Amino acid sequence: MLSKKLELLGAEKHGAFGVDCETYHTAAAISSQGQTGKLMYVMHNSEYPLSCFALFENGPCLIADANFDTLMVKLKGFFQNAKANKIESRGTRYQYCDFLVKVGTVTMGPSARGISVEVEYCPCVIANDCWNLLMEFMQSFMGSHTPSIPSVFGTKHDSIYSPADTMVQYMELFNKIRKQQQVPVAGIR
Amino acid sequence: MADGVLSPGVNLEAFSQAIAAIQALRSSVTRVFDCLKDGMRNKETLEGREKGFVAAFQESLHSVSRDLGELERLSNLVGKPSENHPLHNSGLLSLDPVQDKTPLYSQLLQAYKWSNKLQYHAGLASGLLNQQSLKRSANQMGVSAKRRPKAQPTTLVLPPQAGLVATPELPILPHDSLREGSEKRIKDLFLLLRYVDDVINRIDRMFPEMSIQLSRPNGTSAMLLVTLGKVLKVIVVMRSLFIDRTIVKGYNENVYTDDGKLDIWSKSNYQVFQKVTDHATTALLHYQLPQMPDVVVRSFMTWLRSYIKLFQAPCQRCGKFLQDGLPPTWRDFRTLEAFHDTCRQ
Ligand SMILES: [Zn+2]
Repeated sequence: MLSKKLELLGAEKHGAFGVDCETYHTAAAISSQGQTGKLMYVMHNSEYPLSCFALFENGPCLIADANFDTLMVKLKGFFQNAKANKIESRGTRYQYCDFLVKVGTVTMGPSARGISVEVEYCPCVIANDCWNLLMEFMQSFMGSHTPSIPSVFGTKHDSIYSPADTMVQYMELFNKIRKQQQVPVAGIR
Repeated sequence: MADGVLSPGVNLEAFSQAIAAIQALRSSVTRVFDCLKDGMRNKETLEGREKGFVAAFQESLHSVSRDLGELERLSNLVGKPSENHPLHNSGLLSLDPVQDKTPLYSQLLQAYKWSNKLQYHAGLASGLLNQQSLKRSANQMGVSAKRRPKAQPTTLVLPPQAGLVATPELPILPHDSLREGSEKRIKDLFLLLRYVDDVINRIDRMFPEMSIQLSRPNGTSAMLLVTLGKVLKVIVVMRSLFIDRTIVKGYNENVYTDDGKLDIWSKSNYQVFQKVTDHATTALLHYQLPQMPDVVVRSFMTWLRSYIKLFQAPCQRCGKFLQDGLPPTWRDFRTLEAFHDTCRQ
């Protein structure tokens, strides 16, 4: 239904995209030394095929080469992959003027859990500058489902938006989806 | 069909006669060689043999020259294929029986028509352009000024506070200064460059959110790279103090070519900046005051600065941010208010 509205607006299909996220637990050896077991997320985004993103909840975001994955296999003594928690979103990219919209189905294991919507306004590098403009655009095809301002915007102020900011938003969205069955639509950037 | 095309310039009867004459010539030539090949026939006496051979040879040579003469006479009668065919010799292509297989002739005709039309339209366009030449710089003004008697020479008046040597008037045109000594010319040019630098520097200091980088990759004419906040970059090509060309690009777009020079030809990848580029070009035509080019540059930069809120300012007419997927890309020349391209008065 969203796709139909987008196409009615005049958006054109422009390939496919995919974002996936794997969860790693810190192994017992580290957590026994007083640290609480932290979760680390290793994510990939088809928009940046040569990169691999490693994020801690509320923590730093590390951008590495794609072969970071093999490193994680070697480090399995410290980080254990929670296979069942793999979650991903796949779908279609749309282009409308300078907007890039990605509508994806979020799946965890075999079951579909919801829909993700990523909206990017490519000409603008400061997320806060174009938020109102993005809102207006999202309202035009999402109506009342338009999300409120994402938390990353608050901390960014006037700094330049980076791919890592997108990944943080996907991580937050995926975490929300894991916790609840019914899923809200999320707007990103 | 072939007759129809050829007939105006060709005598058909003479033509067929000429073909017959060619056949006759060929057979007589063949006879000469036959005679030579056979050599002397067997006759009683050697003398008789020689006589018979020479007579036969002479006769056959005579018939050759006779036939040749006839052919020459006829070829004059045949006449030339018509010269006034519109396509000249290429018109003969239409006679080619292979025409059904190769579309060469029809293609040729189309190309001919096309180039005719092109020439016609180019003529119209050049006529129109000549009528509406945009006289926005003193250089062009100077040309028309020469027609007026006692016209003031086109000069750029240097303000005294510019901190330069006391030359009240500074020729701006290289060909004006050519008449004077080369020493003075170089001095003038040097002063002009310093003056341009000075004007640009003052504008740079005037607007903190705007940074201007001046470079002279091609000798005397300056190029500016204006960075406006984190919103956009503008490449400005100058000719002395007149702005020749501007290209607006995104803050995250590359403005250099592969060899590290400012890329003054390629446009932005984003529709919004392509639109702003169009408006900036319009602004160049709007702000014109040939006697005070520094004021023009300053007004243009002031106008350009209003794009700092390109993504934040709603349209002053419809109150919206987006129209057809674009933010308000137009800025009023006087009030600097934001409008959509279609919402401006
Ligand atoms: Zn408007």
